[in-house]
Amino acid sequence: MDDMVRSALRDMAEETGPPTGDLAGRVVAARRRRRTRTVVGAALATTAAVIASVLAVPALGGDDTPQLASQTRTDDVVAHPKQSPPRELIAAGRTALAAYAITENVKAPQDSRIRRKTWYLLDQESGKYVKTDKWSVVDVAPGMRTAVVLEQQLPTRRIGLLDLLTGEIERWIPVEQGVAGVEFSPDGRKVVATTYSENPDRLFKLDYDLNADGKLNDYDWDKNTSYRTGFYVLDVDSGEGSWSEVPVRHDEHGMVEVNLRQDFAFTDSGKLVYSGLMVEPGNRYYDFAGKETSAPANEKHLDWSVEARLSPNGKLAAGGFAGGARTTASEIIDPYTGKRLHKTRGQQLLAWADDNRLIAWDIAPDTGEFRQQLVMVTIGSDKVVPLSGFLKGTDGSSGRWSPVFTTR
Amino acid sequence: MTMSARDAGYEDSFRLFVESRSAALLRTAVLLSGGDRHAAEDLLQNALVKALGRWHRIDEPEAYVRQVLYRQQIGRWRLKWRRREVSVSVPPEAKAAEDGAAAADLRVVLRAALGRLTARQRTVLVLRYFEDLPEAEVASLLGCSVGTVRSTTHRSLARLRTLAPELAALAPEVDEPVHPRPVEVGP
Repeated sequence: MDDMVRSALRDMAEETGPPTGDLAGRVVAARRRRRTRTVVGAALATTAAVIASVLAVPALGGDDTPQLASQTRTDDVVAHPKQSPPRELIAAGRTALAAYAITENVKAPQDSRIRRKTWYLLDQESGKYVKTDKWSVVDVAPGMRTAVVLEQQLPTRRIGLLDLLTGEIERWIPVEQGVAGVEFSPDGRKVVATTYSENPDRLFKLDYDLNADGKLNDYDWDKNTSYRTGFYVLDVDSGEGSWSEVPVRHDEHGMVEVNLRQDFAFTDSGKLVYSGLMVEPGNRYYDFAGKETSAPANEKHLDWSVEARLSPNGKLAAGGFAGGARTTASEIIDPYTGKRLHKTRGQQLLAWADDNRLIAWDIAPDTGEFRQQLVMVTIGSDKVVPLSGFLKGTDGSSGRWSPVFTTR
Repeated sequence: MTMSARDAGYEDSFRLFVESRSAALLRTAVLLSGGDRHAAEDLLQNALVKALGRWHRIDEPEAYVRQVLYRQQIGRWRLKWRRREVSVSVPPEAKAAEDGAAAADLRVVLRAALGRLTARQRTVLVLRYFEDLPEAEVASLLGCSVGTVRSTTHRSLARLRTLAPELAALAPEVDEPVHPRPVEVGP
């Protein structure tokens, strides 16, 4: 009997493949989010505590940190191809859908409208996306324990750090300049907060019929205005940091070079911030003191509107649309030269799942541009793995949701 | 909330460790979880998070992580923390061995039966028969007496015979009667 048990155990062990995805990366991310909690050491040191019965073996010391719902789903791919908008955690490789927003125009004073977001944040207790209308802007730190949030009235003078396990604000960081955009650094240690003098999500009534429906009832943002004033880089732990003024420039035709909302973001190294531009050279880079600096060698060819940017190992970069009239495809470029290295499936590349796979929007074959779903695509393969259900409605309607991804 | 520079320095050696040892550790975790790969990955990931938290103080990372795996598994069972159905690929009743059944079939039956043991029973069997540890070492790892290890081993083997009666023919009878127990939902 002993030998049979021995050999059965050995067989089972031999059939076990290696862990899926970037296990070390997931552990490091999880650990970062847990660090605020006291971690009492695990029970190695307590060898003196000899307990008389196995039944009475104490729970392992050292885990006073509650389990996050996202940590219980360690599958390489967690998909819900029938859910749109998603109700339960979606993830692929190292990356997960941490939150998403549905945007609608709501009435505001002076016959204007505000592009207002309703957010659905991953509740780390239940593993489900939970609706909240408290926040206008949300970003989620790696590990998905903490989100940085802004209240609805923009610009605002405080930045919230939201605990995704409890749903409570852990801390407010007060700021002197009005803030309307926030984003974590790649390691989650810093936040870049974009400052604006007015709400950048405000739309004004147009004096012409934009959608040609015979009615003067269309709203759009003012294409020749920017309220952007600069940015803060803040340390998440201490709340300390400095503000840099960054005046908006105009091109030779007198047009502002940025969108009405054009938030600053961290570069891949987390050492600089950049802003996308509507004009060449496409991006402008700054150090944390607000001094303009040259583009990092591996980001020179990145398009700010392609969200996936650099692969985790930095060797590849997501490029733009490379499909045809009725087919979708995207290009993968060499970040140092901008040269196309691969053409992959997917209409719009959103985030890297690992060094070879990406999360993208894609359409079902022979359908319209707006009937998209989240998928996972693999470089060098035509395989497309659906991750979510299809968006409903056309652009701007409530069936559309915009995702926020982070490392799980 | 963020990692200190010191922690960041240990991150590289931690990553190397995970890269080189995670496949072996996962094998143990799968056995502890009765073949439930998802539960095993959870178990291993949690153990590694704990290890990373005290990486700079651990002399023998593998021994540490393994101990966390064993104890965590038993702790989970005790607390009924995060109940999860144990998934077994073949239900034992569907594989009643016939006369002259091949050894391979018996192994399938045995594996299914291992999946239906309690976590602590399985943990003791894994330590004794997979890790080949002497009783005293198992006792020290689990924080219990040698007598308890011995009796748990004995009862676990007896339960396997009950769950898979076709094995009984191949193994001597146990000294004490074993009462059938309801199938437990795993950790």
